[in-house]
Amino acid sequence: MTSIDIQDVTKEFGGRRAVDHLTVRVLPGRVTGFLGPNGAGKSTTMRLVLGLDRPTAGRATLGGRPYAALREPLRHVGALLDAQAAHGSRTARDHLRVLAASNRIPDRRVDEVLEETGLASVARRRVRTYSLGMRQRLGIAAALLGDPEVVMLDEPSNGLDPEGIVWIRQVLRRLAAEGRTVLVSSHLMNETASFADHLVVLGRGRLLADTPMRDFIHARVRPLVRVRTTDPVALKSALARHGHDAVEHEDGHWTVHHARVDDIGRIASAAGVPVLELAAEEATLEQAYFDLTGAETEFAAQPQEV
Amino acid sequence: MEYTPVLRSEWLKIRTLRSLPGALLALFAATTAFSAIAGVSETSAPDFDPLFTALSGVIPGQIAAVAFGAMAVSSEFHPGALRLTLAAVPRRGRWFAAKAAVIAVPALAVGMLTALAALLVARAGLGTEADGLSAGEQVRGVVGCGVYLMLMALFAAGLAALLRSGVATLSLMVPFILVVSFVIGDATGTVADFLPDKAGQLVLHETYEGTLGPWSGLAVTALWTAAALLLGAWRLRRRDA
Repeated sequence: MTSIDIQDVTKEFGGRRAVDHLTVRVLPGRVTGFLGPNGAGKSTTMRLVLGLDRPTAGRATLGGRPYAALREPLRHVGALLDAQAAHGSRTARDHLRVLAASNRIPDRRVDEVLEETGLASVARRRVRTYSLGMRQRLGIAAALLGDPEVVMLDEPSNGLDPEGIVWIRQVLRRLAAEGRTVLVSSHLMNETASFADHLVVLGRGRLLADTPMRDFIHARVRPLVRVRTTDPVALKSALARHGHDAVEHEDGHWTVHHARVDDIGRIASAAGVPVLELAAEEATLEQAYFDLTGAETEFAAQPQEV
Repeated sequence: MEYTPVLRSEWLKIRTLRSLPGALLALFAATTAFSAIAGVSETSAPDFDPLFTALSGVIPGQIAAVAFGAMAVSSEFHPGALRLTLAAVPRRGRWFAAKAAVIAVPALAVGMLTALAALLVARAGLGTEADGLSAGEQVRGVVGCGVYLMLMALFAAGLAALLRSGVATLSLMVPFILVVSFVIGDATGTVADFLPDKAGQLVLHETYEGTLGPWSGLAVTALWTAAALLLGAWRLRRRDA
């Protein structure tokens, strides 16, 4: 199967370095989430892979070949870069037929992807009349047109309704399960957490992380147990006996750091402390991401002077 | 990648944008209408040229040919469109050649059809005034007019690729055709003869004077067009999409 290989790629736009010595390999059979703040170089990297922008240095290949060397590239790589790219005066079906014709993809396949993306009933309407969510679906239809081994989507959930977001999640999971290489950029952390197996994180054009998602989260966010009781004094002393430090919160619940929910449950039970609520607080991708990118965010708000 | 599928795709693009066949229809309608008016207007001017009178509708009508060429290219320059196109056809030179071909062929065909219709309509109005025209002159006028309109459409296409904008192309070419060329146009025997539109229009005249003839005039226009297309292709290949 085909992987995306980015080897020491640098891209400068008039002195500003958008991608800085990036080396990363995106492997088939899993969904790779592509994260980073605005301006981190995610879209630029995708354009470099597609041969649309020329790298200042380094090279990007697909299965060992540069994109421009692919014969009928849509049959190998499908990309969604910009949902607004379709001409408003064309119908969705004609838009896809134009793309299909250039790579000798039969019109039958156009109708298949329209069906698959839920646009079949509006396929003969002009793209101008489409909502952002519908354009996004059309962009995904275009990416899937050539039944490609590599799929690259730039912010595919943008503008999708809740139903569409669930749908794109299933599509991405299915594509990866079929053994394809799937690279998806997003700025929505919870959304990315719901479909990604692996993460590539950029900051100011540099690679910040290239790890499985679970590892990424667990390496950066400490586990936390949330507990609520009618007898805080007993709870606190029971926890202290076992070397746990509990912190009280305003609404009356307590959190225990570096603890597993099983241990806290046993301790409370053994001490006879009445427990109203006991839960492991799942570390989120968002927390892990901000821990990593805090220093790198190009457009982060400056701390206020006191 | 092969050339034929790219050609088919580009041809489908022309057909599926209503404004492009619309521009060709406007070329036919405007040219024929203005030629018909010229045919029934007063013809006593001393330098009366029956062939040019019959085909004079092309002077305003060519704006539609220019718009056709400019819009066919500029539709690729709205945000994101060129990236989508070049992701499907990464060989940029090949893609631009296909684009030029699907502009040239319909412009030539509609151009010749238009010239023939304009000639027939105008001759109906001119009556005996046009009897002096030989068959050869009329064939030359019709074929040459088609070639001229094709070259003007391609000139606009090249300029649109160079400027990356249809609006910029039209705001440069339309005033040029209507004003600049018109104002300095009567100064024959000067560099004005070598302007892209003036040189090519010699083929529309029965009689001509100066350094250029009907076919060498068209060749001068062809050189201008080739230059515009090459500059457009150069910009396209060099720049990030």
